[in-house]
Amino acid sequence: MSDAARRDAQELLGCESCGLVSAAAVIDEPGLLQQCPRCGHVLRATKPFALQRTWACVLAAAVLYVPANALPVMVTTSAFQHDEHTLLGGIHELWLDGSWFLAAIVFIASIAVPMLKIGALGLLAWTVRHRPEWRRLERARLYRLVEAVGHWSMLDVYVVVLLAATVRFGPLASVGAGLGLLAFTAVVVLTMFATWSFDPRMIWRDAPANGRVA
Amino acid sequence: MAESPDDPPPAPAPPPAAPVVAADLPQPRLIRARRWNVSLVWLVPAIALAIAASMLVRSVFLTGPRIEIEFKSAEGVEAGKTEVRYKEVIIGKVVAVSLRDDRERVVVVVQLDRSAARFAVEDTSFWVVRPRIGAAGVSGLGTLISGAYIGTDAGVSTKSRSEFVGLEAPPFVLRGEPGSIFVLKATDLGSLDFGSPVFHRRTPVGRVVGYTLDADRDELSVKIFVEAPYQKLVTTNTRFWNASGIDLTLNASGLSVNTQTLASVLAGGMAFDTPPGSAPAQPAPENTVFTLFDDRRTALAPADGVAVPVRMVFDQTVRGLTPGAAIDLLGVDIGRVRTVALQYDAKRKRFPVEVTAEIYPLRLGPVRSALLRDVGVPSDAAVLQELAAHGLRAQLRTGNLLTGQLYVALDFIPGPARTATIEEDGTVRMPTAPGTLSELQPQIAEIVGKVSKIPFDEIGRDLRTTLSRASAAIGQLTPDAQKALAEVQRTLARAQTTLDNLDRNVTDPSAPVQRNLEDTLIELQRTARALRVLADYLQQHPESLLRGKPADAPVPKR
Repeated sequence: MSDAARRDAQELLGCESCGLVSAAAVIDEPGLLQQCPRCGHVLRATKPFALQRTWACVLAAAVLYVPANALPVMVTTSAFQHDEHTLLGGIHELWLDGSWFLAAIVFIASIAVPMLKIGALGLLAWTVRHRPEWRRLERARLYRLVEAVGHWSMLDVYVVVLLAATVRFGPLASVGAGLGLLAFTAVVVLTMFATWSFDPRMIWRDAPANGRVA
Repeated sequence: MAESPDDPPPAPAPPPAAPVVAADLPQPRLIRARRWNVSLVWLVPAIALAIAASMLVRSVFLTGPRIEIEFKSAEGVEAGKTEVRYKEVIIGKVVAVSLRDDRERVVVVVQLDRSAARFAVEDTSFWVVRPRIGAAGVSGLGTLISGAYIGTDAGVSTKSRSEFVGLEAPPFVLRGEPGSIFVLKATDLGSLDFGSPVFHRRTPVGRVVGYTLDADRDELSVKIFVEAPYQKLVTTNTRFWNASGIDLTLNASGLSVNTQTLASVLAGGMAFDTPPGSAPAQPAPENTVFTLFDDRRTALAPADGVAVPVRMVFDQTVRGLTPGAAIDLLGVDIGRVRTVALQYDAKRKRFPVEVTAEIYPLRLGPVRSALLRDVGVPSDAAVLQELAAHGLRAQLRTGNLLTGQLYVALDFIPGPARTATIEEDGTVRMPTAPGTLSELQPQIAEIVGKVSKIPFDEIGRDLRTTLSRASAAIGQLTPDAQKALAEVQRTLARAQTTLDNLDRNVTDPSAPVQRNLEDTLIELQRTARALRVLADYLQQHPESLLRGKPADAPVPKR
């Protein structure tokens, strides 16, 4: 690959809105943005402040992950019993009841996936700055995976919200959402935000045209 | 997150011409970005941190102290499920159930709520609420469905404590419940149990809250709780008695059946009342000790005071005399028989029966003080001695002919003079008189003896010789008698004919004599009637003898 080609590749900007490719302008003054000459969309080589936003969301998600697991996500009240269920407690109960498969599903969806998402996003954000050349292709795949599984963690939230809405038998039985559910929802949403604000193009910065090399 | 505005393009740029070369590409327009603070994005984790911290802090503040309660068994107690409630309000939850190291008891770890931190004090009590069906009623039925929970009675101490020993049964008095606790010394528990009702005028006013049998002193004390405002009715004069079940007494006064309410018949109970005629007294303070009497009669009887032990020796059978039989002075019950025992009199080779009894001089009432004054010695035993010198004797009498129950009567019975002695331990040895039954016995024996002296054998023999002689005489008479009999027969036949004639002429209705007689009688009857009319008339109008018959009375006009 010639140096010119690489420079060209660096200096071309595709419009995300209308697909027009423009030549990047030389910006000598800070605070100037490039705009698509056809549709007016702001053109950027990478998403703005991608790393900062990703880091902020990942950290917030990590912080909220603690109350999401420590506090009850579901509060069931029957005529004689008032029960608060945490995520791990519910999985433990399922496991003890012999519903291993269900316990595994809930564990993967509610505990493992958010944790792995936080970890993966943290890894992606860290490597962009510190190990830019390390396994770009795998990182790109990891990003796609994270993006794909992201919303499945909302399963728990849906279950609790549906239960809370349907199980309303007055004094006999009722189900309510606990504070933990709020934190859990925030974790899932924040990880989705982090995924969205991360720009996979950052993985390929300064990469040779053939990604397999280097 | 600030985003630069996508302004509409001021003018459409000419489309780029193919082939694409970097130099031919259109140049993007440059616009000025809105200045914004980059660090704003870091507000997100900051806010998240604040929220998470507040959530955790809140939940930490919501959890109170963690306490350990020991129980005999963890039946129905489940970690993470079983609640701790006070007045049905949830104040905590069981978080772990484990065995104590020595495996004797169960340790239940309870996480109390923050608001219930004050429950972790010295005198709080805990117990497991399970469905209980007992004499006192049914409780904890709700736990059949919800499972057991741990009940609490809040303590008032300020000393905190984290290890408790749980009660095995719910306490029958909760702290702060208005009322008073009293202690009753009892000889026998009867059918009393936890929760047995306490009645006053057949109204339940309290319950038995516990009983302890002191193994060292062999003393039974029953704790009762009398609810407010009825605790005021318990005064220092109050007497308690066991009203359990049916009190069937068979004694010299016959059969008596005593019951309280049906509930107490089934479940046991006790009652209290103030003896009639007792002076009004102050309400008894909490924990006052009373005596629990066996029945209402003994409870409400006047105070017995100090008993005078009495010993009586009877020379007769005491069948029907049981411990507890009455000592009766002219119909007044003044004491009880304690023991009945055989003795052996080596000199006479007899078995006299020794009866010990207690006499309660207080039961004599005002008479006692008069007696004491009369004797001059302030001793009840001396009074008995004096009375015995004047002829007071103990005598066994039949109280009930049907059942043969005996009682000891003290009565003045004429007889040889004897004295009562006072033994060293103060026991009065009362002289006795043979009982009414035992008096009867020798008399009957005397009669029987006299009857047996009659020479029935000789009489029989004489009678037989007389009879045989008579039969021989009759045998000699026979031929003459036969002749005489034939004569008699003939005479009788003739008499028969005569009577037949008479019958025909006189008694036949058609006989002339009969007819005449009948006419005469009818005439006589008429005469008599006329005479009666005359006599009646004369009785009403005696003046007519002089004035003749008056004119008819005029018919009254309307």
